[in-house]
Amino acid sequence: MVRIITEVSKYLIIFFMVLYTIKCFTVLKPVKEKKKRRALNVQIFYVFMIHFLCYLTMYLHYKTVDIIIFYILQMIISILYMVSYHAIYKKSSRLITNNMSFLLLIGYVMLTRLDFDMAKKQFLFASIMLGITAFIPLFIVKCPKIKNWNVFYAIFGICLLITVFIPGIGVEIYGSYNWIQIGSFSMQPMEIVKIIFVFFLASSFEKSKGFADMIKISIVSGIFMLILVLEKDLGGAVIFFMVFVMMVYLATGKHSILIGGVVAGSLLVAVGYILFKDKFSHVTTRINAWIDPFAYIDGDGYQVSQSLFAIGSGGFDGTGLCQGLPTSIPVVSSDFIFAAICEELGVIFGLCLLLMYISCFIYFINISMKIRNTFYKNVAFGFTICFIFQVFLNVGGVTKFIPSTGVTLPLVSYGVSSVVSTLVIFAIIQGICVLENSDINKNNNIERSYNKNNVKEKNIGKSKYRDEFSGE
Amino acid sequence: MSKKKTSAKVNTEMNFQENNENIDKKSNDQKNVPVLVITYFVVVLFIAMLANIIIFMVRDADTAIANSYNKRENLYAEKVIKGSIISSDGEILAETVVDSEGNESRYYPYANMFSHVVGYDSNGQSGLEMLSTYYLLTSNQNIVKQVYNALTDKKNLGNNVVTTIDFNLQQTAYNALGYNDGAVVVLEPSTGKMLVQVSKPDFDPNNIDALIGESEDSDSSYLLNRATQGLYPPGSTFKILTAMEYMREHNDYQKYSYTCQGEDIFSGVGIHCYSYKVHGNINLKDSLAYSCNTSFSNIGLSLDKAKYRQLCEDFLFNEDLPYDGYYSKSSFVINAKSEASSMPQTAIGQGDTLLTPLHNAMIMSTIANGGVLMKPYLIDRIETCDGNMVKKFKPDTYGKIISAGEAETMCELLTGVTEYGTASDYFYGTSYTVAGKTGTAEFNEAGDSHSWFVGFSNVDNPDIVVCVLVENASSTGASASYIARQIFDAYYANH
Repeated sequence: MVRIITEVSKYLIIFFMVLYTIKCFTVLKPVKEKKKRRALNVQIFYVFMIHFLCYLTMYLHYKTVDIIIFYILQMIISILYMVSYHAIYKKSSRLITNNMSFLLLIGYVMLTRLDFDMAKKQFLFASIMLGITAFIPLFIVKCPKIKNWNVFYAIFGICLLITVFIPGIGVEIYGSYNWIQIGSFSMQPMEIVKIIFVFFLASSFEKSKGFADMIKISIVSGIFMLILVLEKDLGGAVIFFMVFVMMVYLATGKHSILIGGVVAGSLLVAVGYILFKDKFSHVTTRINAWIDPFAYIDGDGYQVSQSLFAIGSGGFDGTGLCQGLPTSIPVVSSDFIFAAICEELGVIFGLCLLLMYISCFIYFINISMKIRNTFYKNVAFGFTICFIFQVFLNVGGVTKFIPSTGVTLPLVSYGVSSVVSTLVIFAIIQGICVLENSDINKNNNIERSYNKNNVKEKNIGKSKYRDEFSGE
Repeated sequence: MSKKKTSAKVNTEMNFQENNENIDKKSNDQKNVPVLVITYFVVVLFIAMLANIIIFMVRDADTAIANSYNKRENLYAEKVIKGSIISSDGEILAETVVDSEGNESRYYPYANMFSHVVGYDSNGQSGLEMLSTYYLLTSNQNIVKQVYNALTDKKNLGNNVVTTIDFNLQQTAYNALGYNDGAVVVLEPSTGKMLVQVSKPDFDPNNIDALIGESEDSDSSYLLNRATQGLYPPGSTFKILTAMEYMREHNDYQKYSYTCQGEDIFSGVGIHCYSYKVHGNINLKDSLAYSCNTSFSNIGLSLDKAKYRQLCEDFLFNEDLPYDGYYSKSSFVINAKSEASSMPQTAIGQGDTLLTPLHNAMIMSTIANGGVLMKPYLIDRIETCDGNMVKKFKPDTYGKIISAGEAETMCELLTGVTEYGTASDYFYGTSYTVAGKTGTAEFNEAGDSHSWFVGFSNVDNPDIVVCVLVENASSTGASASYIARQIFDAYYANH
């Protein structure tokens, strides 16, 4: 009987996942508000069905009460969060909160299956962060001055990055020196610094007056990336580089920047690799493991090989939760969680998950396109790039599309710093979304009245304020 | 309202700037061009990544997961009854027997005859049992039946693996080797199919549990697959590569001549021909045919050591072999800095050179196939328990190792061995042509030696490559060439 329920749940989970993913794209179409709201509610229903079926399967397998309690706690937090968030921020995007909650829940499910203690820790930190990040949109709206602090961002960011070199705090994990540990609490400063870096770039562009300023920005950005390379955090360096190139491209609007940036980046990597081949043996390792993991299965290629075994053994429909052997992959709960998802929930589920990330990306892009304030536009765009390239580096590495770089899958992978920073990114984009949605109403006003005095309101950008004003 | 006043004050100062910042719709659209470009860029990247996953799943996953490092075997075994291993002519070589209580065990009907090639599946794995575990534990049974099995909690029947091994030929080789220790490998040079793989001493895989316990405390080596893991000095079979290198370095090799006096001293190393036989004035083909040691030592001294090593490495000495099962790497130690005194021995296949019978067969297969090495393989196809085809393995080219011209010349030279040379007694009166090389490989100071034969039949359009090694043949009196003859005869009796 248990086997039948497990088997049926497996297919139902895939079924709901496919429906959810389709909805992710169909709600992007401009439809009536009422219809949209209904679609979003249906999405939530799918999320809870998948979540329920996953925990049902796991309960039938492990048969411990802890799992039921954990499930109920997750439900309470999710519902509480979604209901209260949209009650407070009426202009916020429900699509973002839906996807965010779903990604977190998928992460909890897989972590419960892989390592229950990690799941609990992840849940605790994520829930606290959900509470804290709830104030971020308010902060964005109330504090337009954040665009003036570029020097502060540069200094603070670099200081935070080099903390890993302080003896006694910085620790080596998996051959990289990108972690700090204080007591029992450890984190990756890079995760926080990438947010600061985006703010640094956006605020610098705001003040930039010409070529000389661009050079200064490039030098400071180069310092950021150089530190990451020295920490042997290649994934981090690649993300920073991509964010830099793409944000400069957006700021200048010159296509040559994009092409030149990509070419220069490749050249830099090639030259650096040839010059420092001996110092960066871990790079050679990863490239060997990427070209033919099975040939180096005894050593360098072990992790990627095991990842491919997991994905291949699971098949398109997966083995069902707790039926596979994802724990054979080293570091499965953080960097390689995508392989575990593919093995047990199925490759179809994995593909849907990727499509879901793309829908998130398109939605973020939509927001950054709508915004007319250049600073917020740059910020939103920078975070979008940050977010989607992290997904790309992670999944590409797990599936042997690109060499593995050791970055996490946003919101799904285990990792406190990663979850914290991704939640902050989501909150900031949400904040910009709130700002923009209130702006749209005002813009209509402005365009009608052409009253210069109204212009300033946009910047302060709170709908309540506008009401007062128009009431005057 | 005080807030409004302050901001109004600021506003007058920053009016101009604000106008700039809050761009109008038209310039916003223009500003968005890079965003759109990047969006397309990212979407294309992701589509490529999705496609990559799908291609992996559809094309590569089946073969990729059939790897002994994949530890999911027991998970599969919970749902599937392991399938059978079947010879290319339909004989069952290994199957799963389920007793009345539902206990499963592997049964090997031909016991010792296939012990190394089929291997065992208890206390570890070897041979085909290891290579094909995942194919055997995957079920492509009728979907209705599978659903029924799932509902009634029954196991599905696993797929069967059809090997390239030819039952009759294996039986012939096994019997021909008799009580000798040694190995036989038969390959189809045009495809890489392995038709025979015998290694002796052997064992009964039905008793593997008892044998493994026993082998741990005795020094018997019957678990070692000599065909793929036994490293032997190549003896005179190595003269093929020495001659090949000589031909490369000397365009006028056809004018080569040497007067053999039965023995001589080269770079201070005394070399003598087999039984001190004096071959007289001979050319290159004769040198190979009579396996003249002094002539080849003479050739060896003239070779460029670095190029000689390069040729051997092209032929996969010191390299990984394109073979999926367990095997030993062959070794060739000469390099540019080696002493001249090491050359006479190396040129005639003594020295420090070591190789496996499998590797020797692959070298001959390359020559027989116009210089192109086909990867040797053992699994022909996967079938469902009802005999429906699931997957067919296609011949795979490893690469071109020598030119077609070189291969053709070598074929011609090697016919001398069987027509009038060292193997002519054994290949007298055959209905087919044979080219090959015999070898006597000394393995100790006392002069005891192994016997080699490696060659192929139907020289114009080669059918099979046979490689035979008989250990310590100088004491047992067995001849590798005679065993090879029996295998060729058996092949042509059926083809």
